Amino acid sequence: MEKYDIAIIGTGPAGLSAALTAKLRGKNILLLGSRDLSKKVSKAQTVFNYLGLPEISGEGLAEAFMTHINALDIGITEDRVTTVYALGSNFVIQGSITYEADSVIVATGVNVSKPYKGELEFLGRGISYCATCDAPLYKGKTAAIVGFSKREENEAVFMAEVADKVMYFPMYNEEVSLPDTIEVINEEPVAVEGGIKAERLITKSGSYETDGIFFLRDKIPPSQLVPGLKMSDGHIEVDRGMKTNIAGCFACGDAVGQPYQYIKAAGEGNVAALSAVEFLAAR
Amino acid sequence: MVKKISENEFEQVRKDDIAVIDFSATWCGPCNMLAPVMEEVSEELGSKAAFYNVDVDENPHLREEFSIMNIPALVILKNGEKAGQQIGFMPKEGIMKFIEDTM
Repeated sequence: MEKYDIAIIGTGPAGLSAALTAKLRGKNILLLGSRDLSKKVSKAQTVFNYLGLPEISGEGLAEAFMTHINALDIGITEDRVTTVYALGSNFVIQGSITYEADSVIVATGVNVSKPYKGELEFLGRGISYCATCDAPLYKGKTAAIVGFSKREENEAVFMAEVADKVMYFPMYNEEVSLPDTIEVINEEPVAVEGGIKAERLITKSGSYETDGIFFLRDKIPPSQLVPGLKMSDGHIEVDRGMKTNIAGCFACGDAVGQPYQYIKAAGEGNVAALSAVEFLAAR
Repeated sequence: MVKKISENEFEQVRKDDIAVIDFSATWCGPCNMLAPVMEEVSEELGSKAAFYNVDVDENPHLREEFSIMNIPALVILKNGEKAGQQIGFMPKEGIMKFIEDTM
């Protein structure tokens, strides 16, 4: 397995700017995200305060970013990271495959979705964010899966191979295509209830008994993404060097706090990359 | 050292002053990540606690007894009584703190 100097997670202004600086410093980098860069950038109507690019559309800004990273021959690996394991001497990054790096920069933006009532209370006691991880524990049991995008249907199919019963709650408008073995329920969840562990999912119009509930969101909160990461008011806690509480792990952009501005994110990406370079040199 | 243990040996674990049990499975990615971390932790805290690993597939009764629904799960027993539980991977510092705070 190739070992990278710096793995950068996120392709918004913070992640791209970090990639740029790290590359210019001669580091072997892995940039994980989307070739569409960031929806938050491309969907912006007009940006007035990005230095050097006056009154630019979101699409125009994304295009300018892309031109810049292409000019430096920075590739984007399209993969969704589920977990970053801080192993002390290195990091293992779990996506559809595993990657290894000496340092990590988290630039995953801000998570707007709020947890359901009871979700955090029962986390790890019947509530999970990864169906494929826990599926074998559901042999002969019932699982409820709340999917926030169509790609989560694969997780439901995987779960159905093991579990006795799978209920699937789609939280998107596209048509659901799942085998008959999976019960699709078009109701909106509102809460999780239980005793020692989660026992049922409450929706606006019903209640469903289950052994476990999986919430599969597009964005994984940073504290789940990087276990052990210290948070403060819903953001990753960093110092002025964008250092987190985990040695070798840095964070920047909206993920570390307000103001949610593109130019601030880009600036922080630069700082995070320089800190990572410094960290690598000191080892 | 982390000792791999099965159901029929578990009575000895209940007699320990402090036992730290890592419930895991061979197919579980986060468990495999946690295993070397637990080895390191056991080297540092080995004089204060006994460290075990239980495979949940091979030991379904223990899995039921401790209501393990997500793994890896770290369970701390104080004189045989459950004193704490932590779910999921954590870096070494976090695991050390969890064990020391529970002790």
